Amino acid sequence: MRSNHITQYLVSRVRICYHDDGDFFDGNEGHQTILKERTGLKVTFKDVTLSYDGKIDTLKHLNFEIPDGSLVSLLGPSGGGKTTTLNLISGLLPATSGHIYFGDEDVTKKDALARKVGMVFQNYSLYPHLSVRDNIAFPLKMQHVSRKERYAKAEELAKLVHVDDQLDKKPGELSGGQQQRVAIARALAKSPSLLLLDEPLSNLDARLRIEMRQEIRRIQRETGVTTIFVTHDQDEALHISDNIMVLSFGKIQQFSAPDDLYERPSNLFVAKFIGEPVINTLPAETLKADLQGHVPDEIFAKAVTAGLRSEALVPFDNGQGILTTFHATLAYKQKYGREATAALNYNGQTLLSTEMAGLPADQKEGDFFITKAGFFLFDEAGALIFGGEAHDQ
Amino acid sequence: MAKKLSKVIIYVLLSVGAITMLVPFIWMVSTSLKTGPETIKVPPIWIPKVLQWGNYIKAWNAAPFAQYFINSVVVTVVTTVGQLFTSILAAFAFSRLQFYGKNLLFMIFLGTMMIPGEMLIIPNFVTLSKLGMIDHYAALIVPWLASFFTVFTLRQTFQATPDQIYYAAKIDGASDWKYLWTVLVPMSKSTITAVTVLAVIGSWNSFMWPLIATNSENMRTLPVGLQAFTTDSGTTYELLMAASTFVIIPMVILYMFLQKYIIAGISKAGLKG
Repeated sequence: MRSNHITQYLVSRVRICYHDDGDFFDGNEGHQTILKERTGLKVTFKDVTLSYDGKIDTLKHLNFEIPDGSLVSLLGPSGGGKTTTLNLISGLLPATSGHIYFGDEDVTKKDALARKVGMVFQNYSLYPHLSVRDNIAFPLKMQHVSRKERYAKAEELAKLVHVDDQLDKKPGELSGGQQQRVAIARALAKSPSLLLLDEPLSNLDARLRIEMRQEIRRIQRETGVTTIFVTHDQDEALHISDNIMVLSFGKIQQFSAPDDLYERPSNLFVAKFIGEPVINTLPAETLKADLQGHVPDEIFAKAVTAGLRSEALVPFDNGQGILTTFHATLAYKQKYGREATAALNYNGQTLLSTEMAGLPADQKEGDFFITKAGFFLFDEAGALIFGGEAHDQ
Repeated sequence: MAKKLSKVIIYVLLSVGAITMLVPFIWMVSTSLKTGPETIKVPPIWIPKVLQWGNYIKAWNAAPFAQYFINSVVVTVVTTVGQLFTSILAAFAFSRLQFYGKNLLFMIFLGTMMIPGEMLIIPNFVTLSKLGMIDHYAALIVPWLASFFTVFTLRQTFQATPDQIYYAAKIDGASDWKYLWTVLVPMSKSTITAVTVLAVIGSWNSFMWPLIATNSENMRTLPVGLQAFTTDSGTTYELLMAASTFVIIPMVILYMFLQKYIIAGISKAGLKG
């Protein structure tokens, strides 16, 4: 139903227009939009540093490029620099040093007003004294678009986000999900080339959150707007994004496709941060005997920490690419719905596995297998030195 | 039972308060309808035998009240609008803009609120007379175009507005100026109404300053005009009270229409700040 509606919208609208100077409509039919097809915008950071107080660098020499038309999530723990990065893109914060480019244009010195991005805030930040219609039309009012035209646009956008039956209400009368939709419509009103979302789903309940993230994904695909999405929820990021940037301690830990993040974490931090349950980590030394001959000696010599995904510990060799075998005792087994986890005791370490559902209930110990996928070795600095597809034979 | 009793006590106390507030008004209206001898009768009469409506006509004609009325309206409107305009700008600066010496300046302004108004009469008079403004509208208006009480009250409300609303407005393409007038001011409607009403009442009722700053008859405002009924040979109370009644009626009407906003505005500024 919902997707139908949006498809209809797109078929009927053909294009959401792109503007250069505040003109949204060609004027002769009021409703008809021509102009250019909207394009996304490439965002480039060159050596961007931000310091709030001049002493501590909150963001340290950030370099990245977000391709146009893509949806990128900024993911990381609280205080990692996600929202700070977003505010640097929006222009709400000036960079301490470095350069920011939108396309080929250097926007470092431009403020939020001049950068013309669309943004959705965590608490939606709708104007409480304005109706939904006026909220969505507000950015157009600021551009002196005539009342008739901006209301027409507001109604279209309200249809796109399914709040067209709420146009005359005040934000206070809407549910959280509806407010969020209105905030998205408002952000899209000026047909921005760049849409920024700052934890837009964190105030919604779990079910609505899943619905809204699909909705955001769809709207993004259909409008082609480059979208940057801040979240601390990895599940959200993994489902919605083309690429994920993991930020922590003011640095980019990894910037890659969602699958790569999980299958080829570039360092120990990312390996631990991504994945549920959390990856098993143990001193590489513990595994020495079992890894002999399976990992090149010169690599193993540098390895400090080993990481094993819980699904990389399997009871049987079903041809899924086994790295090695090991002997362990079973500490306990638990079943939650369709998931079964088991804790294995191995050389004094406890390893969690989610693949032990097929074991006899009374089994106390045995030989288990470690698959190649989901096994990683990290050096002293935490960088990945073994594991991930690139190392697989 | 105890609940009922406490309710009774609350209503009794509120009634006592309400009556205490109302009695002077009732007395004023009652006196305005008496004859001269009735006004000083002991024990006092609450309802005159014959209602002397003619007192109102006599009072209106006793002095150029039409001129006073015009003067009061002009002074009140210009003062209120001017004061609101400067105060909204100042409150915005103190709540949102960053500038050198902001906190120090705010403390100094706050300090000025401790100075009693009477102390300012002489310096203000000297200043305005040197500027040649005495006995003009300017004398009645210019000193009241800024009010730190209004600035302070508005600043508290502005500060309680979430930062993200400001950022959202910035992203939506609103300059500071537009944000102030299209978002912040409408959002602060109840506080602005409250300070407006207080400014109107203050200006309308002010007596001491207009008395000092004006000499000629045609510059006087209504409260000053009430003096016309007090002469060396005594006070004609019935006419004074009749005049007082038509002087305060506009304020009573204003208050009745806006009391909802006044109470909401004051409590909002107080609680949230």
